[in-house]
Amino acid sequence: MRGIFPICERDFIVSWRNISSDLLPTIVSPLTFFLAFGFGLQGYLSDIEGVPYTMFVVPGLVSMTAVTSAFDHGAWSLWFHRIVQKTINEYRVNPISVYEIVIGKILSGFLLGAIKGIVVAIILLFLINFQTSTGAESALGLLMDYSLVFSHLLFYLLFVFLGSMIFSCVGTMCGTVMDRPEDLNKIQGVVITPLVFLAGLFFPLSSFPSEVLPLIKLLPTTAIFEGARQALLQGRVESQYILELFVYAAVSFILAVIIFQKYIEE
Amino acid sequence: MAIILKNIRKVYKNIVAVDGISLNIEEGTVFGLLGPNGAGKTTLVKILTTITTPTSGEAYIHGYDIKKDSIKIRRIIGVVPQENNLDRYLTARENLTLHAKMQGMPRSEYNERVDYLLNMMGLFHRRNDFPDKFSGGMQRRLVIARALIHSPTVLFLDEPTTGLDPQSRRAVWEYIQSLKEKTTIFLTTHYMEEADQLCDRIVILDHGKALIDGTSASIKETLKGSDLYEVEFEPDFKPDPSQREFLYFISDNPYEENGSIRINLKDKKYLKPLIERIETKYIRGIRRLEPTLEDVFIHLTGRSIRD
Ligand SMILES: Nc1ncnc2c1ncn2[C@@H]1O[C@H](COP(=O)(O)OP(=O)(O)OP(=O)(O)O)[C@@H](O)[C@H]1O
Ligand SMILES: [Mg+2]
Repeated sequence: MRGIFPICERDFIVSWRNISSDLLPTIVSPLTFFLAFGFGLQGYLSDIEGVPYTMFVVPGLVSMTAVTSAFDHGAWSLWFHRIVQKTINEYRVNPISVYEIVIGKILSGFLLGAIKGIVVAIILLFLINFQTSTGAESALGLLMDYSLVFSHLLFYLLFVFLGSMIFSCVGTMCGTVMDRPEDLNKIQGVVITPLVFLAGLFFPLSSFPSEVLPLIKLLPTTAIFEGARQALLQGRVESQYILELFVYAAVSFILAVIIFQKYIEE
Repeated sequence: MAIILKNIRKVYKNIVAVDGISLNIEEGTVFGLLGPNGAGKTTLVKILTTITTPTSGEAYIHGYDIKKDSIKIRRIIGVVPQENNLDRYLTARENLTLHAKMQGMPRSEYNERVDYLLNMMGLFHRRNDFPDKFSGGMQRRLVIARALIHSPTVLFLDEPTTGLDPQSRRAVWEYIQSLKEKTTIFLTTHYMEEADQLCDRIVILDHGKALIDGTSASIKETLKGSDLYEVEFEPDFKPDPSQREFLYFISDNPYEENGSIRINLKDKKYLKPLIERIETKYIRGIRRLEPTLEDVFIHLTGRSIRD
C-alpha cells in the first residue's frame, strides 16, 4: 500500500499549485446560496426548528461544498489521467497495484473535498459573525447558544467525511467508465444537483409529504446534510443516518475499486 | 532468457491485433520490432509491460509470468510508451521524482539519478518547467529519462526516437548502446536505419504475425537472390513505371524515387533486353543496389498504405 502516498502527494502538490484559481469557484457557489437565502430570505422566514434560517443552511452548504468537490475531483481527475494525459498507464508500469491507484485517488478526492468544506465553513462563520456583530451576539455567542460543543463538531465532521468519501468513490467510478466529458457533465446535472437540492439543504424535511419522506431519507445526501446539521446544532446523532452512510461508503468504495480494476485493464 | 513469448494472441472485439507470436529473446539483446501502422507492435509492448492482458498465450519476463507477477515485472522493466504520457501539472523534475517514488526508491538515491538523467537528456536547465511548454522532442527525451530512473534490466521502447532531431536521436542511440551490457532492449521503430544500426535481432510484424526473424544482415540476405537496380533516366524522358515492357522482366512493381526508377529484376539475364527495350539514349545510368532493410520491409509488407 506504499504506492498510495506518492499518488495522493501528487494530487496535493497540484491542488496547492492551483489554489488561487481553484478557490474562487469553490467558495462562490455556497457563498451565493448563503447570500441569496441566508441574507436575502432571512427576514421573510421564521426560525426553523428553533434555528434562524442562516444557521439552518450553513452546515448544509459546508457539506455540499465538501461533497461536490469530492465528486468533481474523483471524476475529472481520473478522467483526465485516463483520457487526456494517459498518465494512468505511467502509474501502471510501476510496481503498485490497481488498488493502490484507486485508493490513492479516492483518498485525495475525499481529503480535498473535506478541506474545501472546512475552508467554506470558516468563511461562512466569519460572515455570520459580521452579520450578527451589529446586534449583541457574535457568531461564537450564537453557536454557544446552540450549545455547540466539541463533540458536536466531531460528529459533524464525521458526517462531512463520510459524505466526501462516498462522493469521491462515486466520482471515481464515473471518471473510470465515462470517456466523454459531456457524460461527466450530465452526471453532475442529472444526479448530483437533484441529490443536493432534494435532500433538505434549504428547507426542513418536514415539508415533504409523509409518503415520500422515507424515500428522501434514504438518499445519501439527506443523511449527509440533515444528519450533519442535527449533529452540529442539536448534538443529536441519528443512528439511521450514520448507519446509512457507513453502508453507502462501504458499498461505493468496493464498487469503485472493482470497477476501476475491471475497466482499466482495457 | 530475458523475454519469452508463447503463442501470444490479442483480440479486440473483431480485430486480431496480435496473432500467435512466439519468441525467445536472450539477455543483453537489442531486439527490434518493425511493422507497418496497425501491425500490432504497440499491442505487443502493452502486453509485455503488463498494461494489457493477452487473450491467450503465455509470456515471461526474466521468468516472471506477465499474468501473475505483474508487480515483480514492473520493478525490472522500464517503459517508453508510444505516446508521451507526461503529467502536465507537474514540472519536468517532479515527473521524474514521482516515478522514482512509485518505484519505491529512497530520496537519497533518486535525487542524484534524476539530475544525472536530466543532464544527459539536455533538459537540466528546463527541469522546473512544465512539460506542456516543451517541444515534442523535449517531451520525448523526458519520457525516456523517466523510463531509466530505476535502472531497469529490460527496457521497452515504443518508437523512442519519433519526433527527435538527428542530434537527439544519435544521443539516444549511443545511450542505448551503452546500456547493452546490462540491459535487454525491446524496441519498435519505423526508422530502418535505426533498426539496422542498433538491433542485434529484428522481427518484421504484419497483421499481428511475424513475417521474418533474424539479424539485419540475414534479413537483407533474403533479397540477395533477386536483383535490384536503380535506373536513372534523362530529364526529358518521362518513364511510365507501369509500362508493359517493364513488367515482363521484373518481379515487384517498379517504383519511382527521386526521378529514378527502382526495379527488381527476375533474373540478371533480363538486364540487357530491358535496356534495349527502353533505348539506351534515354538512360543516364544504371546502378545495382544492395538490398536495404527497407527493401525487404516493402517486399514483405507490400506497398499499399495501411488503414
Ligand atoms: N484499445 C483498442 N481497441 C480496439 N482495437 C485496438 C485497440 N488498440 C489497438 N487496436 C487495434 O489493434 C491493431 C494493432 O494496433 P497497434 O497499436 O498495436 O499497432 P502498431 O503496430 O503499434 O501501429 P503504429 O505503427 O501505428 O503505432 C490495430 O488494428 C488497432 O486498430
Ligand atoms: Mg504503435
